[in-house]
Amino acid sequence: MSEPKKTIEVRVERTIHAPADEVFDAWLDPKIPGNPWNIAEKLLLNPKIDGFFYWLIQGNAHYGRFTEMERPGRIQHTWMSRSTSGEESTVTVTFQKKGEDTLMTLVHSGLPDTDGGRGHDKGWNFFLDSFTKQFSQ
Amino acid sequence: MGQLANGPARFTDIAKPFDTALNSVTKHLKLLERAGLVERQKQGREVLISFRGEPLREVAGWMHEYERFWNERLDQFEQHFQKKKQKEKER
Repeated sequence: MSEPKKTIEVRVERTIHAPADEVFDAWLDPKIPGNPWNIAEKLLLNPKIDGFFYWLIQGNAHYGRFTEMERPGRIQHTWMSRSTSGEESTVTVTFQKKGEDTLMTLVHSGLPDTDGGRGHDKGWNFFLDSFTKQFSQ
Repeated sequence: MGQLANGPARFTDIAKPFDTALNSVTKHLKLLERAGLVERQKQGREVLISFRGEPLREVAGWMHEYERFWNERLDQFEQHFQKKKQKEKER
């Protein structure tokens, strides 16, 4: 029997100044900047339970299947790409009412913890960029 | 930090572009020094400040490419709603 592969989880949170149903709909609308679908070179998107997506970005194909769809609170879908080494990872997005705003939490779990999966250089650039900006303000 | 990325610089040169008292620049540099991000060296009358990237590199090593990706996406998504709200206010 093979040992279970080590996986990691990425968690990102933002407070959005809009009601949850508006934020939920915007997350699934490819015309809205900021959601992943918006930057696709080619996109096939069927956002309903058991609906599939095909998302091509910088020549890299990504595939997934929607597994949960509860407007306006929760979206879950699988996510496969070269960076997941062909394994199925899971993206869960929740939208929680917070006064007039919405707390949006995105958890990408089941990511393989491999050297290839980690973006040292990219992370380094990103971190330094934001760090520099803090001090130049 | 932007200035130091190109190599060590004199304290007076670092402070020049900032429209604040030298005292507050010194305070900022002390904080960065305590965090291990800059190093001070006395050279005659001048104080040379240099950037130390190692502590940042260690932190960045833990950042997954998807962490960076989702952060960028959500930043833009958040900005979209901020712009939208701003436009509504201006009407």
